[in-house]
Amino acid sequence: MADKLLFDRIDEPGLDTIEVYKRRGGYQQLERALRMTPEEVLQNLLDSGLRGRGGAGFAMGKKVSFLPRGGMDKYLVCNADESEPGTFKDRELMQKSPHMLIEGMVIAAYAAGANRSFIYIRGEYELQAMKLEAALIEAREAGYLGEDILGSGHSQTLYLHRGAGAYICGEETGLLDSLEGKRGNPRLKPPFPANQGLYQGPTLINNVETLATVPHIIRMSGTEYAKLGVENSAGTKLISISGNVQRPGNYEIELGMKARDIIYGLAGGPEPGREIKFWFPGGSSSPVLKPEDLDRGYDFDSMARAGSMLGSGAIIVVDDSNSVVDVALTLAKFYRHESCGKCTPCREGTNWTVKMLERIHAGDATPMDLDIIASVQDQIMGNCLCVLGDAMAMPLSSMVAKFRDEFEQYIEDKRAAAGLGEIPEPTPIEIAGAAA
Amino acid sequence: MPRPEERFVTFSIDGREVSAPAGVMLADGAKYGDIEIPVFCYEPKLGAPVGACRMCLVEVEGIPKLQTACSTPVKDGMVVHTQTQRVREAQNSVVEFLLVNHPLDCPVCDKGGECPLQDITFGWGRGISRMVEPKRHFRKPVELSPLIAIDRERCILCYRCVRFSQEVSEDYQLILNERGASSFVGTFDGHPYVAPFSGNIVELCPVGALTSRAYRFRARPWDIEGSGSVCTHCPAQCNVEFTVRDERVLRVLARDNHGVDDGWLCDKGRFAYQAIHSDERITEPLVRNPDSGELEPATWEYALDVAASAIEQAGSSVAAIAGGTTTNEEGFLLQRLVRAVGSADLDSRAGLPPVPAETQRALAAPALQATIPDIEFAHTVLLLGTDPIDDVASLDLRIRKGVRRNGVKLAVATSRPSALDANSRLWLRYAPGAEHAFVAALAAAVGGADGVEALCEKADADPKAVAALAQLLQDGGEDVVIVWGQRIGAAPLPSLLNLAAALRLGERAGAGLIEVPVGGNARGLREVGVQSNAGPGLKDAKAGKSAHEIAQQAADGKLTTLYLLHADPVRDYADRRLWERALQGAEAVVAHATLLSDALRATATVVFPAESYAEKEGTIVNLDGRVQRLRPAIGRPGSVRAEWQVLADVAKRAGHDPQVLTGPIVTQQVVAAVPFYGGLTLEEIGGKGVRWQERDAASAAPEAPAGPFEAGEPLAAPRPNGALRLGTYRSIWAAPEVEVSPALKFLTAKQQAEISPVDADRIGVDNGGRVTVSAGDVSVLASVFVRGNVPAGTVFLAEATAEQSATELLGGEPGLVEVRPA
Repeated sequence: MADKLLFDRIDEPGLDTIEVYKRRGGYQQLERALRMTPEEVLQNLLDSGLRGRGGAGFAMGKKVSFLPRGGMDKYLVCNADESEPGTFKDRELMQKSPHMLIEGMVIAAYAAGANRSFIYIRGEYELQAMKLEAALIEAREAGYLGEDILGSGHSQTLYLHRGAGAYICGEETGLLDSLEGKRGNPRLKPPFPANQGLYQGPTLINNVETLATVPHIIRMSGTEYAKLGVENSAGTKLISISGNVQRPGNYEIELGMKARDIIYGLAGGPEPGREIKFWFPGGSSSPVLKPEDLDRGYDFDSMARAGSMLGSGAIIVVDDSNSVVDVALTLAKFYRHESCGKCTPCREGTNWTVKMLERIHAGDATPMDLDIIASVQDQIMGNCLCVLGDAMAMPLSSMVAKFRDEFEQYIEDKRAAAGLGEIPEPTPIEIAGAAA
Repeated sequence: MPRPEERFVTFSIDGREVSAPAGVMLADGAKYGDIEIPVFCYEPKLGAPVGACRMCLVEVEGIPKLQTACSTPVKDGMVVHTQTQRVREAQNSVVEFLLVNHPLDCPVCDKGGECPLQDITFGWGRGISRMVEPKRHFRKPVELSPLIAIDRERCILCYRCVRFSQEVSEDYQLILNERGASSFVGTFDGHPYVAPFSGNIVELCPVGALTSRAYRFRARPWDIEGSGSVCTHCPAQCNVEFTVRDERVLRVLARDNHGVDDGWLCDKGRFAYQAIHSDERITEPLVRNPDSGELEPATWEYALDVAASAIEQAGSSVAAIAGGTTTNEEGFLLQRLVRAVGSADLDSRAGLPPVPAETQRALAAPALQATIPDIEFAHTVLLLGTDPIDDVASLDLRIRKGVRRNGVKLAVATSRPSALDANSRLWLRYAPGAEHAFVAALAAAVGGADGVEALCEKADADPKAVAALAQLLQDGGEDVVIVWGQRIGAAPLPSLLNLAAALRLGERAGAGLIEVPVGGNARGLREVGVQSNAGPGLKDAKAGKSAHEIAQQAADGKLTTLYLLHADPVRDYADRRLWERALQGAEAVVAHATLLSDALRATATVVFPAESYAEKEGTIVNLDGRVQRLRPAIGRPGSVRAEWQVLADVAKRAGHDPQVLTGPIVTQQVVAAVPFYGGLTLEEIGGKGVRWQERDAASAAPEAPAGPFEAGEPLAAPRPNGALRLGTYRSIWAAPEVEVSPALKFLTAKQQAEISPVDADRIGVDNGGRVTVSAGDVSVLASVFVRGNVPAGTVFLAEATAEQSATELLGGEPGLVEVRPA
């Protein structure tokens, strides 16, 4: 295990002040980066192999390189709308080391040629917003933000914007609409934000953790950073573990570590006597994995091979004391509540799914409903305007596929409890002219 | 922004090679290969696609995910599939999802039978329903506005209406409340959605969620027929389709004509059809009984004889005035008759001063004319002395479109604050009545002449703003379109022509002038010779008296017969009291009218029942010279006759048989008399009309005199001295057809005194307070509307309101008015 980068002595008192942060070497990487050309900084980012830590895992350096060169107004936006259930790593990072994020943002903006930047933080993160606001004041006073930073000629403004509590505003284009003062609805892509983002200008959007990693890449150099982790998954990753484990919380790991070592080693596994039933490897929108997948490495490619994804790096463990149906219902309700309503499959699909699961819960369903649930998830997947619909369909579909027996047993038990008894043989209904 | 060039690309769709203009979206491009891709939210008129409904998903080779055809531009070599299993499944899915919360109450839904959701469900749906859970419920139907009912259960949340409100009409009232499956369309705080173009959302709605309250439950699609014609309520002349059931017009829909209306209608155009079937319609001839002194129903024979003998006896002492709904044919016959009896006292200018024939010919020069679509693509548009929302409603949307989508730079120069100020790069104000000084100042500023300051002083316009406007017109790009209102009068026109010359508007195809006249067919009437100083084709003719002179003569008892063809000068023209005396003073008044005004009831000798615009046949001319065709949609009520026939019969009995047997014969006579219409036929005009300037015969347009034109010395605007300047305007809602249409009655214009906060403070009144506005011994009662951007020292009143009209105050020289709390 490599040394921690982001969470190195994260609990040191006063780290949220510029004084302590600088004493520990803070803002030196900014000075160093500003002595390089933007192209050299970008090369380091490309070399590092850093992939976005927000969920999609897109190579950060590549994203920066997509921004057109030239003198137009360009923007950097930090996505701090950390709303994916099970994810709470950015929160700790911003709360305890806000300057790391600011330093990373100035370096990234320098590489991207952006002079205006924003942090869009979710409304519920009140303490974190206060910490960041205080840090921003310190950084401005110290000359790390503003005109002609450290005599480099690079100027940058950075503002903090608080959201109003919508999951969809974590979707990058929804975030941009919200930041512009509109209703936070996702936009059609293309155009992608790199070409036409905030106020129609080229915009780089990255997650908090991604941007906070940037100073470390400059310190180590991109090629050195790339040596951390495994192939296609360079570096360390903050993970949030929650659910049925004995030591939930945030941990920094080197990518590629065995999932079992994370869940049992770091987080202590489930309570004694309990078995893991399934686990979400990358937040609530990742397809669930079973205990047999625990020996896989925790990295982008291994999780994809397992049929799931690393996502935001939030592991949610569910043990055998929980019913898969309850988890599915809770999850579906969340996505129904958070669907913006703009596109049809997500708006109606999440709503219908909840209604069906509620019927199962109420004991008024048959196993045929499971087929409809599965089919509805298929109808959502890939057909939506943004990925929110997929975010429900993927885990739901994996739960129904992997725990069909349990669902069916649940339906039978509930029916029995509701006094409905045996499930009658379905009689096909003839519909004139209907093509099934 | 110059018009984009059209270039074609070739792509393959379902195995067919299709050629379509580059840049169009696949949903439209597919139509070039006769392939239909179903859509709900996509409507190019609403601007950039949003990709919300997901109905148009198709497979594009080389792209892993299905793509929305509404937002994917066609490209050379693109290979598209719309019929594969994958696409079918996606389409089935979207239809199923859309129906999850749709009540499927088609049997009782107004939209049933003409419903895109129904059609697409049949064409692209799975045909079965798997949904057994309860659907979402709303209270329904509720009033979105007095004109529109909303059924939120039927709504499929396609966003069209919201986008219309936000991005087309820019009234910013409709929004989506809540989110996700709980979303619903409404206004922010539940206030009624009242806006001048609100009715368009009914037509945009692809389901039965938004229905017209006037049309609800009046007919099913299989009961009705559509009949295309043109709306004559204002000079915009939007193309419409009347929905007819059993000889009644039940609805008016837009008939998209890019050259005219761009597919939108204002609420007046959409709902004032109710006036056609008003109980107050005159449906038989009325003649004044000499014994009782009352207007009484009469036979046609008798009425025609009375009218003819009134003309015969008057000799050359006949004067005629035509209103804006008169067709070219009717106007032509009228002027023939009047000229035949030796008079030339003719007018169709709504009481506004006549324009010398020379000036008219210069303004009508084809090269100097811009087209309506030019507004969308110009570099700069200047609105001069007109506010489209009141004067020519659908043009308001065209200007907004140009500004929003093509970056047109808009400048507004008016005396009254305009609805388009907010969209403009620059707006400036001058004193009402000081148009001459203002246009002269602007022309001088553009031409680099001296005396700009002094002229600005006379116009009470800010010289800096005038300089900025001049600079914008000169440096903002060559394609400048000046949209000017006839209401600015005759005096500024030489300066306007000089301004156009200085800007070289005649030299570029996309630049020019557009006049917004007063009255639906005002342009056509002038071209066919219904004016005192020019005959058909704007040719020189014996000079006669203008409307105002006619009124004075009649009031003095020196006029024998006054012929009012669809004109109500007492209501509509300046100096109401003079016109009242004129009608009383004339020995005989012959009128054609659909509704009996008080003035006609008191003074008319003969009233012929007029056709409504849905009954008429004939031609009219749009702002930019587009000759359009009115076609009868319904039969005439009662014993109403075609008015060309009535005019011909009157003329015949008066000894001047015009030799016409049918309406088209009159059209032929018009075409023969107006050289620049040469050879025009009804077939050529067709459904979309044709601009005469674009035909070969345009070369027969009268020779335009070369400039520069003698601008004359403008008068200075009076200085407010406690008394205020009076400015007037005519609201879109100040019209008899609004008052008699039950649906629109709530919008009827009431007299409002628009004053600045400064003056409101000084006078000691507040919003809604009552004031009297008086000029000499005449006064008008109005409620106060304190409007922030009204210049201090000015009060604005509405003309032609049913009561307390500002025309009362418009007699004699323009002066100041006293405003006092009532």
